[in-house]
Parts: sequence; C-alpha cells; structure tokens
Amino acid sequence: MAGATPTTYSPSPTTRKTKSLIFRNDDVDWVRTDGRDFHQCRPAFFKIGAVNAAAGSAYAEFGNTKVIVSVFGPRESKKAMLYSDIGRLNCNVSYTTFATPVRGQGSDHKEFSSMLHKALEGAIILETFPKTTVDVFALVLESGGSDLPVVISCASLALADAGIMMYDLVASVSVSCLGKNLVIDPVLEEESYQDGSLMLTCMPSRYEVTQLTITGEWSTPKLNEGMQICLDACAKLATIMRECLKGPDSALEE
Amino acid sequence: MEIDRLDGRTPNQLRPLACTHNVLNRAHGSASWCQGDTKVLAAVYGPKAGTKKNENPEKACIEVIWKPKTGQSGKTEREYEMILKRTLQSICILTLNPNTTTSVIIQVVNDDGALLPCAINAACAALVDAGIPLKHLAVAICCCLAESGYVILDPSKLEEQKMKAFVYLVFPNSVLSNLPEGQLTVQGEPMEHGIITSVTQGAMPVDDYLHCLERGRAATAKMSAFLRKSLQPKLPID
Amino acid sequence: MGLPDSSGGLLSELDVDAFRRLFPLRFYESHLAKSTRPDGRPLDKARDTSSALGAVASADGSALVKIGSTTMLAAIKMEVMTPSQESPDEGCIAIEFHMPPICSPIVRPGRPAEAAPVVSKQLSDTILSSGMINLKELSLISGKAAWMVYLDIYCLDADGALFDAALLSAVAAFSHLQIPVVSMNDEGKVVVMSEENEGGKEPVNKEKRKLTLCSIPFSLTCILYKNYILADPTAEEESIMETLVTVVLDSSGQLVSLYKPGGSVLAYTSAIQDCVALTRQRVRELQTILDEATAGMEVD
Repeated sequence: MAGATPTTYSPSPTTRKTKSLIFRNDDVDWVRTDGRDFHQCRPAFFKIGAVNAAAGSAYAEFGNTKVIVSVFGPRESKKAMLYSDIGRLNCNVSYTTFATPVRGQGSDHKEFSSMLHKALEGAIILETFPKTTVDVFALVLESGGSDLPVVISCASLALADAGIMMYDLVASVSVSCLGKNLVIDPVLEEESYQDGSLMLTCMPSRYEVTQLTITGEWSTPKLNEGMQICLDACAKLATIMRECLKGPDSALEE
Repeated sequence: MEIDRLDGRTPNQLRPLACTHNVLNRAHGSASWCQGDTKVLAAVYGPKAGTKKNENPEKACIEVIWKPKTGQSGKTEREYEMILKRTLQSICILTLNPNTTTSVIIQVVNDDGALLPCAINAACAALVDAGIPLKHLAVAICCCLAESGYVILDPSKLEEQKMKAFVYLVFPNSVLSNLPEGQLTVQGEPMEHGIITSVTQGAMPVDDYLHCLERGRAATAKMSAFLRKSLQPKLPID
Repeated sequence: MGLPDSSGGLLSELDVDAFRRLFPLRFYESHLAKSTRPDGRPLDKARDTSSALGAVASADGSALVKIGSTTMLAAIKMEVMTPSQESPDEGCIAIEFHMPPICSPIVRPGRPAEAAPVVSKQLSDTILSSGMINLKELSLISGKAAWMVYLDIYCLDADGALFDAALLSAVAAFSHLQIPVVSMNDEGKVVVMSEENEGGKEPVNKEKRKLTLCSIPFSLTCILYKNYILADPTAEEESIMETLVTVVLDSSGQLVSLYKPGGSVLAYTSAIQDCVALTRQRVRELQTILDEATAGMEVD
C-alpha cells in the first residue's frame, strides 16, 4: 500500500447549511421526525451480561443510539496512586469510527468521560472498596442523539450487574429547547437545531439529582418545567431498568 | 522450468552470508548479519531486573524493539516485534533467570529482501554473544514461490515483489550429538525438521508449501554449519 | 493420569475453581488425557459460530460475528479519493482492527493492546493475498475518483481466536456491502444521488452495487501442545499453552497463510497436515454459516 494515506472525502450530501428547518420559529404545534409526542421518550431496550470478559456489562439501545458499557473491578489501583481509604472510579467514553454519519467525528466528545464520572460518583458507595479502582468503559456503537444520557443509564446497569454497591440506580434523560417547545430525548437532527439543552441525572427512588447540565438560555419557569419533565421520565426509565435487572423470569413470578 | 535469477544464482543458492560479533561496545552482546545486501544489526541488553506488568514473573521476559531504516514505527514493525519475541522465547531457557527482562534491539541497516529471516539470525547471534542460555539456535530462511510452482531460496527485494508468494521459515539448527540416532527423533522426524516459526504471504496450494518446507530444511542445514563455524571462538595459533 | 502427589494433601482439599487457577496446566492435562476440554468440547471442534449482517444501519456494510464468547463488529464506510498515478484504475482498502477497553481487562484506555496492530496487519495481508477483492472494481472515474474502503473491526468481547472472528466478520461485512449510487455534481465532486434525481444527473456507477468476491478466505487457529492439537482456543487456553498455528484456506482449497509465530512446541509435517485438514473441515462449516446469513438478508 502507498506510504502516505490519501485524503478522502465522504460522498454523503452535506445538508446542514441550506436545508429548511423542521419547524418555523413561531410554530407551537409541529410533528417530530419520528412521530413522537414532545414529552415522549424513545422505546428503551436494555440487556445485561453482554460482555463475558468483564465483571459486569450492559447494552442499551434507544432508537438509533446503541451503547455498550463494561465494568472491571474492583481491581488494583495503579502503583503511582497513593493510598486512599475510599475506592476510586475511572471512566472512559469512546466512539467507534462508524458511530457518526461522517467517519471520525467521535473525537469531538472528549468531555463525556469526565461528565460520566461526575454523574456516577455521587451514587456509588466508594467506602466499600478501599484502595482499589472500579473501571467503567463505554463504547458508543452508533450515535443517534442524546448519547450521554444513554451512556449514563447503561453504565449504572453495568455497575449493578458487576455487584458494585450503589445508593440507587442512576437514570438520565435530556431535554432540548427548540423554539418555544421543550422536547424530550432529542434525536441527532433535533439536537443540531436546539437553542438550549438540559441533561438531568438522578436517583429516582431517593428523588435526588446527581448531575444537572444546562446549556443555552433558560428562564426560571422554563427550567422548572424542564426539570419536572426529566424527573418524571427518569422515574419511568428506572422501572424499565429494574425489570431488566430482575431478569426475564420476573414477569412469570408475579 | 529453469528460472534465470537476476544475479545469476541457482534456485537453491543462498546469497553470501557474513556475520560479525561484538560490534557494539556498550551492549552486552551484539551481532551484525548480512545476507547479500540485506544487513541487520542486533544488540542485546540483559538480563535486567524486573518484568513488565502483564508478564509472568516466574519466567524471564524478552522484549524486542525494532527500528526501521527510515520513517516511524508502524504496524509492520509491531508485527515483526511480536514474531521475533515469540521466536526468541521458544529458544531461550526462560526458567533460568526468573523475573528478569532481556532487551533485543534490531536496527535495519539495509533491506534487500528476506528482512525478517536476517533479523532472526542476527538476534540469535547476538544472544550467543551476550551469553544468554539457549536451548538451541534458530536458523531462518525465506523461500519464494513462482507462478509455475518453482521454489527459489533467499530472494532479493525485486524477486520478492515479482513472485506470487513467499514464506519465511525458522527451524532449530542441526544437532551434533553423541547420542544414538533413535533418541533425537520425534514422530519419526529428526528434531531439526520441526518449524519454530512460519509466516506466509500470497496464496499457494498446500503441496507447494510442503515443498518449500523441504527445500528450507535442506538450506538451513548449510546455514547451521556456517553459524556454528562463525560462533566458534578464534583460537590463538600456537 | 496420576497426579504427582508432592502436594497430595492440598490437592484433595481444593475445589475445582481454585485448582484451575493455581495449577492450570495440570487441570488441562487431566482433561486432554481423556480427549476433551473443560467446556466439554472434543479437541477438534470449534465453538458455536453465528453471524448477523447489517448490524450497523449507518454504515455501507456491516456484520456482527460471535465465535463462542468472542464478539466482533465490522463496519465498512466508503469515501472517495483520487487514485495514485501508478494505478489510476484502482481503489484502496484500509483495514483497522481496534480493541477498545471494554473487550478485555488487559486493555487500558490510552495504552493500546499489543495484539491490535498485529492482528490488523495480519488481516490486511490475508485479505490482500487471497485476492478476494479486485481493486479495479473500486474505480469510479479512471484517474480522477475511486473508492476508499474503510473497514473498521471492533472487538467487543475478547475470548481467544481473535483473528478467526475478525476475518469472518470482515468477509461477512464485504458480502453485505452495498456501494451507494453516486454522480458528479457541478463542482466536480462525487456526491451520493438522492432518489428523486434532481437536476437529471447521470449516475456514475448505476450497475455496480455489490462487489464480486472470489476465493473467500476462512481461518482456523489451533494450539499445539505436546502431541495434542486443540482447535479454536479460548483466551484461557491461549494464555497457558502458548503455541498457536493459524491456517487460512480459501474456498478453492489454496493455502492463503500459515502463521506460526514462534512457540515452544515445534511443528512437524504431520502436525501441519492435521491442522490443514481441520481447517478444511472448518471452511465448509463457515461457508454454510455465511451463506445462511446472506440468504437471510436477501429474503428481507
């Protein structure tokens, strides 16, 4: 093969610049591209035990967003780290090269690793594994919008599968502000048009929020409305996650 | 069916071999091996204390670093390092010095075909020069297969590129022993017929591959003799 | 096979898992003596293999392959490049094998696995040597535009026989590949044609939507240990008994590659012939699995 890699370009049409908006600014009543309600999330599919080599793992599919998370540990911390009487959490989120429509754009999301860390560290009981580290690695197989919330929910399932002690399951949902409407669980196209976003990570049974991330301009009533939508959605998501953890036989027992 | 080779060699003829020992002062052992125009320099440092993280501390560990002639190290170099490491691990007696690391550094001086076999031969000679205990030596050869099924040995770079397929083979060196004949055979074949390493490129029928094996074995007998001669210390003439 | 009883008292007290961790070689030898392996397979049988085409919707061709627990996801993305001067009629294939940190406890983020570049290069060499893809089929406009095929294979779960699973997933992804229909736009760039065919542009490659694959390579990795040959090893077997031989045969029976990277056990002619025979059997199995998967896709 030739020594230098030739420069290539993707033949897919570039749409962003001139395509007409899916709604106009003063529209209050428009239909989302996949036909959902404004406050309706995509159907969620979870599966635990996807990776045999890991202590715990989970696979999540929300529409076109597909994520695998593996948990290793608790295992020995690196020798360079000093003694600590609580455990450590190490998170890493990476994208496959084919996750985004244009090859290789996954490296734009380097901050996801630290955001995942902040979302999970409030929920894990670190005192149960002193001197050791729990590694949480996430791989986004396909990015269809609202990636980080899916990664966080999947990671908490994987931690439960690995048997790491937590205060509660962590569920996460994001809301996009499009014109005058608040739209929950946006897809990639909706995210590119959003005026602001709100991502909420909470522990539903304890009604506590572990992480809240807001971008854009939000007035106080809108903020309250957004948070309430998210908390309701997280409660529903948590029931789905619990069902998945109980296993396929749980429905028969009842 | 005769193929005329560019430099006028017969199909079974190897290029002139040259081996020099102790070329580098600071290294614990070093050797330079030339096969025609292909020249490789090998240096051995070790045994040094400690093994790398994932390695078994009950055995000695071998680390190989391959430096190409020009350019940065890429996937080809990583593959060569892995093949060389596993080949050398099979000839060294690893249980003698547990929890130590021996580093072998290969520097390509010139590449004119059959680079990997040349490097393996150089590494072996350097290990002997450093005094690392070995079970036996490894002798490496390259066989090329032409379209008509004809096998030629030790190709130069032009010949390698024109041929349909080539095979790198590594055999243990031939054994000179006082023991009776029967004791050294395994499954009816003498020990030096076993393959330590084999890497092929290009598609070929299975029978042609077995044919290459036979030719390779015959050639390595000659190379073993050369290696043995060059490793013998020069005695002063009284 | 009688176990040496210097630690006889200890052995009788250990339970099976502890014995497996502490004395792995003896654990395996006692199974091999009865021609079986801990997971119940006979020595020459490979693990259950399954493949699913079209796993990634956004890629032009993709496949998910599982051999036992080893899982590989391969996806192909096509981009356009200008072909080089020496071969204006040929496209290019770039194969990359990734081992993300999820697949195995040995891999760390930031420090790539040692096996990854080696398997990557082995795959490129094997696919090019076998001549499965004719690079001239990847040409669009001679001298000006040709396809660059990016094949990325991700290991999702590493449990031995990585090369076999990766090769199978690459082959399956190529057989699923649909080349998009493209045309030249006004700026001289090649763009995917939309269905309505605005502007009445002529498609450059209306006919060629699938690649013809000739002589598809299939592989089998075997472990040589004393006199035994174990087909399709798991990661545990690979780490204990280190001598591996990978034989790649194509569908016409030609040897594409015989790869034996060192190892303490020497391979004699009889062992090589046994490995080749096992591989021939495996080629037939894999060919049926691949045909079933392709047929399943076409029905849809």
